[in-house]
Amino acid sequence: MPTPTVAALPFYLPQSNEVELFERAWRHRLPLLIKGPTGCGKSRFVQYMAARLARPLHTVACHDDLTAADLVGRHLIGEGGTFWVDGPLTCAVRDGAICYLDEVVEARKDTTVVLHPLTDHRRILPLERSGEQIEAPPSFMLVVSYNPGYQNLLKGMKPSTRQRFVAIQFTFPEPALEQQIVTGESGIDEATAAQLVALAGALRRLKDHDLEEVASTRLLVYAATLIAGGMDRIAACDAALVEPLSDDAETVAALREVVHAFFDRG
Amino acid sequence: MEEQVGAIWHRLITRWADDRDPAAAVALAPQQSRLALLFRALGGDPGLRIESADATTMNHRRRWLQRLAGSHQQVVLAWLDERALRLPAVIDHLPSRDLNWALYRWLVALAAVAPWQPRHWLAGNLARTRLLLQRFPGLRESYQQLLTAHLSQRPDPATLPPLEGQRERIIQAALQQPLLEIGGSPTIGEPLALSEPTIWNRSADNEPLLSSALAMLKHRLDPVEADQLTIDLLPTAPRAATPLPLWLHPAPPRSQGDRVPLSDSEGDQGARDSAAQEAADQRRRQAQRVEQPEQERGLLALRMENILSWGEMVSVDRSLDDEEDLQRAEQMAQDMEQLAVARQQRRTASRLRFDLDLPAAASDDLPLGGGILLPEWDWQRAALRPRFCRVQPLLASDTQPQPLPPHLRRSAHRLRQQFQLLAPARVWHRAQPEGCDIDLDSWLRHLTDRAAGHNVAADRLYREMRSGSRDLACLLLADLSLSTDTFIDDERRVIDVIRDTLLLFGESLAATGDRFAIYGFSSRRRDPVRLHLLKGFSERYSDHVRGRIAAIKPGYYTRLGAAIRYTTRLLLEQGSGRRLLLLLTDGKPNDLDQYEGRYGIEDTRMAVREARRAGLEPFCVTIDRRGNDYLPHLFGSGGYVVIHKPSQLPARLPLLYARLAG
Repeated sequence: MPTPTVAALPFYLPQSNEVELFERAWRHRLPLLIKGPTGCGKSRFVQYMAARLARPLHTVACHDDLTAADLVGRHLIGEGGTFWVDGPLTCAVRDGAICYLDEVVEARKDTTVVLHPLTDHRRILPLERSGEQIEAPPSFMLVVSYNPGYQNLLKGMKPSTRQRFVAIQFTFPEPALEQQIVTGESGIDEATAAQLVALAGALRRLKDHDLEEVASTRLLVYAATLIAGGMDRIAACDAALVEPLSDDAETVAALREVVHAFFDRG
Repeated sequence: MEEQVGAIWHRLITRWADDRDPAAAVALAPQQSRLALLFRALGGDPGLRIESADATTMNHRRRWLQRLAGSHQQVVLAWLDERALRLPAVIDHLPSRDLNWALYRWLVALAAVAPWQPRHWLAGNLARTRLLLQRFPGLRESYQQLLTAHLSQRPDPATLPPLEGQRERIIQAALQQPLLEIGGSPTIGEPLALSEPTIWNRSADNEPLLSSALAMLKHRLDPVEADQLTIDLLPTAPRAATPLPLWLHPAPPRSQGDRVPLSDSEGDQGARDSAAQEAADQRRRQAQRVEQPEQERGLLALRMENILSWGEMVSVDRSLDDEEDLQRAEQMAQDMEQLAVARQQRRTASRLRFDLDLPAAASDDLPLGGGILLPEWDWQRAALRPRFCRVQPLLASDTQPQPLPPHLRRSAHRLRQQFQLLAPARVWHRAQPEGCDIDLDSWLRHLTDRAAGHNVAADRLYREMRSGSRDLACLLLADLSLSTDTFIDDERRVIDVIRDTLLLFGESLAATGDRFAIYGFSSRRRDPVRLHLLKGFSERYSDHVRGRIAAIKPGYYTRLGAAIRYTTRLLLEQGSGRRLLLLLTDGKPNDLDQYEGRYGIEDTRMAVREARRAGLEPFCVTIDRRGNDYLPHLFGSGGYVVIHKPSQLPARLPLLYARLAG
């Protein structure tokens, strides 16, 4: 497995004290849990912090077939018999890197149990299969994230796992901040960015009532990027903000009306 | 002959006077859900529904031809009240379809931009329009077009008597003012920040917002006219101003929930007579409002030769009628093609009590004992009222075991087969002592263990495909209120459909082996809420259960919140990983007390949220065609389904379950 190296500092605008909190958690060797809706900047934040702390970042996108072996490592059959290959978690522990498990609730519950000895005062990773026990260096940090939205309620995190983390809640940024983010990411003009953010605010009001997931900052940046690239504003909003939010024809038509209220056809 | 000529003349002159184009008409009903979403997105209260507004009579100046035809007296304007945003059922007075549709959107936006405040008609609408045009540049162009079309329909102030002309000039200036402020051609580059407050507070008077709007307007008027204008006064004139369909209603008819103090200023805005008129009931059937005949009560109002059929209106004063036989009255009402109802100006005592919104003594001070006490959500206080409802679980005692009724046997057979296939998916079981395939992981592990010098037994190296068990419990809660007694076709009532549905649901689920229970409920105020046990979780689905289901009867009302809270508790006692709460209803939550309307809706919404927070999956299946109006608010967009043909319910529900459980 190729070892990630320290990346250049990506664009990130702090919302509140999250940068300080992350740094403190890292310094005191505490694992961190980030909660927040899709596309509000969780992954970008971790990327940014890894670059800021000059640590390599190992990211694992969790899914429901992820086994403990996928995280820790496994034996493979080679010519002279079998040999051991480290998984991303083991790699990160050995390197003293930051290991980021994205959407951790998607992983099977028994899988997350391998994290337990790493997240308490022991900070060790026992490799059951090879009998090895790796002690995490001080620079190692475990970061997990999940989206506590409605559809994941059934897959909520086990309390015993959740209790082992320092937690932080992410929400969509304040309008002024979000406008800066949209401008910074796409290079669009201020006024259009402000309109896009206001439109996102209107769409977010429909949460739970008409939409299960609402317009994320990421989708806003997509829309802004399309507009900055010369696309018609309404067409760009259609492609980036309306169609991704619903499959229901009636809802899509109604969302278009909302877009038309914010952008004139001209 | 005389009559025929009269009828022809009437038709002719009405058509002549009618400047509306039927091809350009846009109806509210098909667009309702779209407009509702727009309303919520632009900041409207998500608890409000969209309903069609009633017409109000205004004594505004009409054109000669319209006066001759006796038309255009009734005007339908939009307004907001405590329960709903009311929009005209059809908009057809603008020359094109696009414009009429644009007017719907404009009215929705106008209502959504700020909470409802009934006072200060002119300043309020002006301030709303300014806010809208500043916040939503996409509406500028369409307002421009609407305004151009509307101004061409307004009278020329010069042709009116002086007082009315003055008022007309102010109104026209007020309509144009907001567009002039943003500088004509709408562009995106407009600065959004306003120098004055843009937050419209529900409780405060918002004077600054209104007076700044007025101050801008006064700049454009000549000093004499400007002096006439204060925050809530327009120059008075004997006739009302020409109606303003671009603005909200100057003096909306009051609905039952409203408690708006009557202020004189409203009447001055031209529709004093309409303020007294009350007309806010939902139109449940084709209704015709007639003027209250002016004669002493009890006298036969019509000459005998005028009575053409049974459907003719007979004036009967029922204002103090004590007859309680509502069922008979309802039946008679259903037999009539048209209902003619006139409103009296006076109110009866019972009506007064309702308006004060006090709970009746009987429902308030009764000490509750026995049963299970559950809280209820009071949305006005935003707090739970603890131990407020008593739920009484009931078990029918005198039912006989019954087999499945013959007319359901075929569909039951088909469903059973489908559901056996659907029974929990087969999965690979790994590390089995024997199986159809080698489990590579186990084998590899075995080899590495041996290579490492461990002495391990060569067992559990195989894998096998077997069916697992589904970790799911489902509770079906059926509404057995009195409304299920209505007929859906010539033979069957709603309750019959529900009975068939419960039976087929039971047959299907018994085939899968999933854990399930069936309950029915109805309520009579908050004590008791009756919960009929039809099948418990631990009970086998047998002829006893079928007998109980066959014996269900409609009764009482729908206090949905308490029933949901009770069944939530039952489901939580089940140890399953997934817990599904299926609700089967035919209408909105309601009860005899304040549970009707917003209170019931908000309590139910809270109960659903509590269930969701507890980790259940509530899902609602309804046959109420109007379900789309309120169910998104209760269950979220993906949390319910409306079945338009009730007769399909028995076949659809098991399939729905399969989708939810799958």
